[in-house]
Amino acid sequence: MGTETDDNPADHRNTFQPSSEEIEHWMQKAFDMAKEALENGEVPVGCLMVYNNEVLGRGRNEVNETKNATRHAEMVALDHVLQWCHQENRNSKEVFKETVLYVTVEPCIMCAGALRLLNIPLVVYGCRNERFGGCGSVLNVPADELPRTGAPFKCISGFRSEEAVELLKLFYKQENPNAPKPKARKD
Amino acid sequence: MEPQCKRRKASESETVAWDVFPVLSDEQSQDAELLEAYAAPIINKKETSRLVKELASIYPLPGVQHIKRVRACKDSGSLNPLEVIVCLVRDVQPIPNNKDLSISALLPSDRVDISGLGKPFLVKVPAYPPLTRPQFEQASRHWPTSFHEDKRVTVALKGQLFTADQKAKMQKFMTAAVMAAKAGRALGMDAVGAVIVDPQTERVLATGHDCRGGANPLHHAVMVCIDLVARGQGGGAYKFDRYPTCQFSVPTSSPHQSRTVISPSVDLLGLDQAEQSWVPYICTGYDLYVTREPCVMCAMALVHSRIGRVFYGVASEDGALGTKYKIHTQKDLNHHFEVFKGVLEQECEELKQDGALIK
Ligand SMILES: [Zn+2]
Ligand SMILES: [Zn+2]
Repeated sequence: MGTETDDNPADHRNTFQPSSEEIEHWMQKAFDMAKEALENGEVPVGCLMVYNNEVLGRGRNEVNETKNATRHAEMVALDHVLQWCHQENRNSKEVFKETVLYVTVEPCIMCAGALRLLNIPLVVYGCRNERFGGCGSVLNVPADELPRTGAPFKCISGFRSEEAVELLKLFYKQENPNAPKPKARKD
Repeated sequence: MEPQCKRRKASESETVAWDVFPVLSDEQSQDAELLEAYAAPIINKKETSRLVKELASIYPLPGVQHIKRVRACKDSGSLNPLEVIVCLVRDVQPIPNNKDLSISALLPSDRVDISGLGKPFLVKVPAYPPLTRPQFEQASRHWPTSFHEDKRVTVALKGQLFTADQKAKMQKFMTAAVMAAKAGRALGMDAVGAVIVDPQTERVLATGHDCRGGANPLHHAVMVCIDLVARGQGGGAYKFDRYPTCQFSVPTSSPHQSRTVISPSVDLLGLDQAEQSWVPYICTGYDLYVTREPCVMCAMALVHSRIGRVFYGVASEDGALGTKYKIHTQKDLNHHFEVFKGVLEQECEELKQDGALIK
């Protein structure tokens, strides 16, 4: 089980808390997704946005196809939630307030900023992201004093973190860094 | 409302009514940190080199090699024109009472001929080597220190890094960002505008305004511009076609034929989602002009996109390039860039005020 960090006692949204069975269940799905990505040669990160026991967003990294370096799995998943709200004619502000992000790797600083701007109340993640992590590793965006950047959110970190790291190691091993994928280029 | 004549005047004349200053790291901008030390007058000037050698063998002052061991006495009429650092206060047992402070309390008489030194006294010395001229000047008021000056930083801190010609160009680009902000505001968005420019060709590659009032609350002006640059290079995740001011242009033959760069060797535990074998570092070498300081999401998006430089008009309350964070100088991150503020400050400030009135 993960450990809780960064509780904001003043934050009324702390009352919003999925049960440990729910957390277990959705993180299992996130890990399944990460493994599936690995099998397809993609970055093994699983990322789910769950609202009212329903998966509204499921992101995978789309940096390469969009040539947009900000298209991290979390940003893609947030867009899915927005699309769902649009289709269902729901107020996205209300939906985000009760949507949990389950992700196998700690969100980066940018994604943490985006989650906070949208008032996501809780993020459950697997391993730390030492190089870019915005939920405690490099910066602590959910807990810092940022009155104009949405609301602080809670994190449950370290959920099956060894497994999440192992998946990434496997990915980088198969993605031999000495032999980058050849790219069609006419010099 | 739009002062037509004033605008024309600004573009014609070479002088501009604003100054641009660098947003430096905390280490570069903070006040010089000080340490306490014991110094003593050198009674006979001729003994200086012997005393310095002997003191250095007993108290080598590790970690504060930047401070000069000897200084000329501030009071030029003094009997003993030279003073020397004996040791740092932290190097010796605490001496609670100033009256008990004597050379023999600081030095073993068997290793130094202490008769060469006068009565010791407390001084403050800079704890770290100064990084900027203001830090150097501040530190030097306490005790002389060596300083490896970065002339570029010194000039930048005076607001003199850019020529009048360069500033005229900066004004042109920021004016485009201000116009975009106004166009966005007319559509009910926050009055924030941005442009991304290739400084080599001086071409505007993307112009965008805040679109968060539209379908996506994360469409801050910077995020819009990053996606528009991607779009101009055959990518892009969104269509901003319904916002006529949000535009991109296809870069003309740029020195980077393909802006896709091989990432540096992949760190096994790097966990960087963006750092696969081929990553589009689409903003490498480009400049961003944005009317106000970006938020934390946008600032980190600029790191991921490998922006070259950022110029903003005014700071913002939760800004992440100077106010709340300095993402561009953040130690653990793998890309750093220069940030300048103050370009067209007045016009950018007015946009902020207008926004406040609406809310
Ligand atoms: Zn991210
Ligand atoms: Zn922003």
